[in-house]
Amino acid sequence: MKRLITLLLICSFTAVSAQIDRSVMPKSGPEPEINLGSPKEFTLPNGLTVLVVEDKKLPKVAFYLNIDNPPMAEGDKTGVASLTSSLLGQGSKNVPKDEFYEEVDFMGARINVYSGGAFASGLSKYTDRILELFSDAILNPDFKEEGLEDEKKKLKENIANNAKNVSNIAGRVSRALAYGKKHPRGEFATEESVDRVTLADVRSFYNNSFSPGSAYLIAVGDIEYRDIKKKITNHFSKWAKSSPLDLSYTQPEDAQYRQINFVDMPNAVQSDIRVQNLVNFTLNDEDYFPALLANYILGGGGEARLFQELREAKGYTYGAYSRATPSKYGPTTFQASASVRNEVTDSAVVAFLDVIDNFRNNPVSEEELKRAKAKYSGNFIMSLEDEETIADLALNVKINDLDKDFYKTYLENVNKVSVEDIQRVAQKYLKPEKFRIVVVGKGSEVLNGLENINYQGKKIPVKYFDSEATAIERPVYEVSAPEGMDGATVLNNYIEAIGGRSAIEAIKTIQATSTANIQGMPLEVEMKKGNGKFMLDMKMQGNSMSKQVYNGSEAFVVARGQKNVLEGEQAKKLAESAAIIPELDWLENAPELKGMEMVDGKPAYVLEIAEGELYYYDQETGLKVKQESTVKMGPNTMKNIQTFGDYRAVEGVMMPFSMSQNIGPQTIDLETQEVLVNQPMEESDFN
Amino acid sequence: MKKITLVLACLFSGYTALAQQVDFEEYDLDNGLHVILHQDNSAPVVTTSVMYHVGGKDREEGRTGFAHFFEHLLFEGTENIEKGKWFEIVSSHGGNNNANTSNDRTYYYEVFPSNNLELGLWMESERMLHPIIKQEGVDTQNEVVKEERRLRVDNAPYGQLLNAVCEALFENHPYKDPNIGYMKDLDAASLEEFQAYFKKYYVPNNAVLVVAGDIDMDKTKKMIKEYFGPVPKGAPVVRNYPKEAPIEQTIRTKHYDSNIQNPALITAYRTPGFGSREAYVLNMISTYLSNGRSSVLYKKLVDDQKQALQVSAFNLEQEDYGIYLVFALPLGETSLETLEEEIEEEMKKLRTELISERDFKKLQNQFESNYINSNSSVQGIANSLARYYMLYGDTNLINDQIDIYRSITREEIQDVAIKYLLPGKKAVIEYLPEENQ
Repeated sequence: MKRLITLLLICSFTAVSAQIDRSVMPKSGPEPEINLGSPKEFTLPNGLTVLVVEDKKLPKVAFYLNIDNPPMAEGDKTGVASLTSSLLGQGSKNVPKDEFYEEVDFMGARINVYSGGAFASGLSKYTDRILELFSDAILNPDFKEEGLEDEKKKLKENIANNAKNVSNIAGRVSRALAYGKKHPRGEFATEESVDRVTLADVRSFYNNSFSPGSAYLIAVGDIEYRDIKKKITNHFSKWAKSSPLDLSYTQPEDAQYRQINFVDMPNAVQSDIRVQNLVNFTLNDEDYFPALLANYILGGGGEARLFQELREAKGYTYGAYSRATPSKYGPTTFQASASVRNEVTDSAVVAFLDVIDNFRNNPVSEEELKRAKAKYSGNFIMSLEDEETIADLALNVKINDLDKDFYKTYLENVNKVSVEDIQRVAQKYLKPEKFRIVVVGKGSEVLNGLENINYQGKKIPVKYFDSEATAIERPVYEVSAPEGMDGATVLNNYIEAIGGRSAIEAIKTIQATSTANIQGMPLEVEMKKGNGKFMLDMKMQGNSMSKQVYNGSEAFVVARGQKNVLEGEQAKKLAESAAIIPELDWLENAPELKGMEMVDGKPAYVLEIAEGELYYYDQETGLKVKQESTVKMGPNTMKNIQTFGDYRAVEGVMMPFSMSQNIGPQTIDLETQEVLVNQPMEESDFN
Repeated sequence: MKKITLVLACLFSGYTALAQQVDFEEYDLDNGLHVILHQDNSAPVVTTSVMYHVGGKDREEGRTGFAHFFEHLLFEGTENIEKGKWFEIVSSHGGNNNANTSNDRTYYYEVFPSNNLELGLWMESERMLHPIIKQEGVDTQNEVVKEERRLRVDNAPYGQLLNAVCEALFENHPYKDPNIGYMKDLDAASLEEFQAYFKKYYVPNNAVLVVAGDIDMDKTKKMIKEYFGPVPKGAPVVRNYPKEAPIEQTIRTKHYDSNIQNPALITAYRTPGFGSREAYVLNMISTYLSNGRSSVLYKKLVDDQKQALQVSAFNLEQEDYGIYLVFALPLGETSLETLEEEIEEEMKKLRTELISERDFKKLQNQFESNYINSNSSVQGIANSLARYYMLYGDTNLINDQIDIYRSITREEIQDVAIKYLLPGKKAVIEYLPEENQ
């Protein structure tokens, strides 16, 4: 009755409290008591362990069979486990497939058998029949040649269907590279390996994996222990004992140095990034609780650091997360991952590394740790709402050889973790120097950026793989420039394409008015240049937001009435903008042809005018289609990309009427409304 | 210890043997907010949720995707909850939270250990009373929504399927456009438009609050009044969306997806909205056609004739019009034409013959089983209570809906098939790999 009294106390306490003050976050009430029941249990002579949870809340029943096998390599017949799964549950030697399906559906029940276990559920009034069909399907599978052929066909079709599925390929390649393609955790089925599977392989796979000695059966629902024990004993005692598997594999190893492993998927509109290294710990380790909380703080959800940085601060992705899974069967991976849009692929890789580096090198705050503990405590308490959880926890204790009080002391152990523990496990398990960064994406758009990441003063080596994790040569996207082509020819072609030198030289001044839309607000851009001067004025609703000027001697920016004089590199750049067509000047000292790249699916020549400043000219039309430069903003460098289109003739010279500017996550589309040439310019424009 | 908890549970909730009966209490606050309380003290967990009657369809032409955008925006903070702290507050109190948006409604919820009930009420009332809607938050969430669209639609195999169906079935009604909206519409929307949208739809008289789980009824009512009472009532929300003319002949369209290798066939029908008796019948027809391995289409196309890798029928219930669709992936050399003919053959049987007595009994059993499973978690109950009240206009459906299914006859199944599942009333969408274009 203690709880009743506590509750009464709370009631009377709040009843006297005054009006609420909503500017203050309400305080939590006293922590609710938890009630960690334990299931009843028995073991059959063949070794099958059975856990029973009586839960009479609803008239339903469920059975879960869990077989605790070590990971098993399928080798050149990978796919046999999946095929066995498909063939299991298709009736039994006693009940043909069609009758089996019909009867299960008729009861409104579900029965599934797969390579690692089985599941059945339904109304408790059908408990006996469900259990009968369930055990029969598990113990007497009816493997048939025809069924196998059908399933092979379907599996191969599924493999083919996933050939363009970016996240599916990313999962498969990241596992294959982490563990090796011969390791059970790294191997994957191909059409060829599926073809090799015979009915004998399926039988032998079934016999090896279905052994009662390593099996656990959970029965939960509207059942009586004594009754269900009798029935389970009756059905499952027939299960013949067999010796458990003893398997060993070559231990996987981390990459020798940090690297990007790139897979090209031309259809990708997002890059799938997975940053990983191997980890090896179990639920029994003293590191378990610190690792659990550490991963939560780093990437366990919407409030974790990766999500906050990559989604909330930068808007690169819909979600960024990390995970590290304990296993008693050898190494698994720590993995941090996100799907990000193509343009920010390289920036996102850097963001991952930065967040992880910061997490390793600096202690987390007490506040952060406190929050993590609260989250785990709360979720643990809430998970106990479901009676099945109680069986799951008991099963975990058995399978992982945990202390019998593991879950009774769970909250206590969560609360014991210190800031130092978090940093210790972060430094032990996160190995940035050996990170394998698997990126699956559209090479023609993202590879260049990845190859040029400069992280802590060094480039990150990029290795290339196909979608089956086989190392390949770097994919080639640049079309190679034709023999004899050089920078001067590219510039001359451009000058010809827009109207020729004499037409250009006849233009002394240009005035252009353009409009754009920024977050729903119309923006007006006025540009004037010529006679060695330049002015660009951005206005919103008639008011100047920012005006850049080079008046022939001084470069400055006026924003909100404040004049800011520019110096050095910035001043020089603004002064250069005064040239009507700068290509004429570049011809005097023509840059080398840097190569060719695809711009919007069309080959373009690339010229590097200054360091990091690239100009792209369409091979076919000769017109300038893109310009790329690097802008420093505080500690970050960002790419500023402009693309040009809709060329129209103005006084015999072709000029782009549409321009799109991309800085960081922002894209601004400018549409030019009017271009006037050789108009007199007012001195006042350049004040 | 367990015994004592059970005794207490009985004491507090009037726990009975007919446990699938969901007890609840409902009432309105003065500002029009509808409140539904469901007490279940068997575990120390509480769900606080608000469903707003606003979804993808509530928009002007050229401003699609607002409701979904708000699903993001309304986590940005309130006058008393600092920007970026929402998730942190929830998790640091051991809770979980999320939201989802359909074409018709948006659902926000938190699940907490029950000692944080007041916190949940505070947060939801903050969101309703005075969320911060600023340009900065709009800009960030605009990028995030674009990534969501890429992840779920543009980069996902068959991710554009529903859009393709909606484009084919609707010409005038807002259901024609994707729930997530067109990115250009969101880019073009001004801050003022977002603020006006909030004022119009996120008002107490357009919402229902559900509190379910380990609660004390009187205390909870008092807190609800304190936290939600001060939220001002809004203008009544009036909807008048364009109607669709009946489909007179088969619509045929093609849609291309660069993320797939195998084509798919979709046949889709326009059906009546929520709560119509016909919508329940259509749910039964879906189960008959594709639920379970003995179902008509699965058995025929996947198991016996081996023409399909997968086949499923869905009845997508919505407020103004429903969508009934059958989706099939061909296996091997089977053409989409063949699949269409085979599926049509079964539709024809539904129209011309009564389903067998045994199949009918099987359907009823399956619906009984679904019913018992449907109310097994408190979180699920909270969602159902809100949905039945807001979209079906009858909270009692949580207990009574099964009676509707029980009352449906074989003849009615045939009638509905004749009325809605006619070849001339369907849209056939060939969903093809991009390279075939």
